[in-house]
Amino acid sequence: MARALSNLLFKGITGSPAGCSNRMVSASFIQRGMTYSTTAPNDPDTHDDFKPMDKFQDTATSLKDVVEQDVKENPVMIYMKGVPEFPQCGFSSLAVRVLKHYNAPLSARNILENAELKSAVKAFSHWPTFPQIFIKGEFIGGSDIIMNMHQSGELKEKLKDIAANQEKSA
Amino acid sequence: MLPVRSHSRRVLASLRVRMASRASSAMLSRAGRIRSKLQSSLEASVLDIEDVSHQHAGHAAVVESGAAETHFNVKIVSSKFEGKSLVSRHRLVYDALADELRSGLHALSIVAKTPQEVAPK
Repeated sequence: MARALSNLLFKGITGSPAGCSNRMVSASFIQRGMTYSTTAPNDPDTHDDFKPMDKFQDTATSLKDVVEQDVKENPVMIYMKGVPEFPQCGFSSLAVRVLKHYNAPLSARNILENAELKSAVKAFSHWPTFPQIFIKGEFIGGSDIIMNMHQSGELKEKLKDIAANQEKSA
Repeated sequence: MLPVRSHSRRVLASLRVRMASRASSAMLSRAGRIRSKLQSSLEASVLDIEDVSHQHAGHAAVVESGAAETHFNVKIVSSKFEGKSLVSRHRLVYDALADELRSGLHALSIVAKTPQEVAPK
C-alpha cells in the first residue's frame, strides 16, 4: 500500500515540465490526503473485522519510500523551502536560480509544508540543512555546493544529457 | 533601534570568537563553540567564522525558535579535506557541529579548502 500511495504521490509531481506550480499544488494535496489516510479510526464500537488492516506502521518508513522514488524518477530533484516560483529562503532561491540556468527539468518539494517529509529527507541523505539537491539519484549537496559546481563547470557536465533529452522531447 | 546596533553586535561577535579559546565551554557563545569544535576536529589552519544571523532575522524558523545565533559563514582551510569531495568536506563540518544544529543553529555557508587550494600559485 505504501508503494501504491507513493506512486500516486509521484504522479502528482511529474507530468509536463511547464506546469510546475500546478504540480506542486496537486502534490501537496495528495500528500495531505495521504496523511489523513494513515489515521485509523479508533472507535471502540468498531468490530475488529472492520478496522483497517493495512495501515502504515511507521510514517517515516513510507516517506522514505517517497523520497527514494523522488530521487530515482526525477533527474533533478530539489527539496527546498518554498516552491521554485516562490522560494522562501535565500539559499533555496540561489539553488533554484543556478539549476534553472541549465534548462533541465526541475522537480521540487516544499519541505516547509510537511515536517515529517523534512525529517525523512534529512534522514535519507544524512544532511542537516536545506535545500538538498539530487541529480540522477545522486545526492549533490546544498546551495554552496551547487554554486561551486556551477562555477567549476562540473554542473554543466552533470546536466549535459538531461538538458539534451529535454530539447529532443520538446 | 539605533543604526549602529548591528555593527556593534558583529564587533561583539568577533570579540567573543577571539576570547573563545580561553573561556570555559559553558560561557561560550555559539560562534565560540563552533570555533572550538571545528578547530579540534578539523585542525584548521584558517578558520573564519562570521555571524550573519542579523541577515535572517525575519526568517520564519528563526522567529519560532527564538534563537539568536542561527546563521554563520564559515571558511575553513584544513589538510583533512585533501582528497575529499565537497559533499564529504561539508559532512565533516556538519558532523563536528551536530549538537549545534540540533540546538538552534539553522544554516551554515561553508567554504572548505585544502592548504594546497589556497596556496598562491
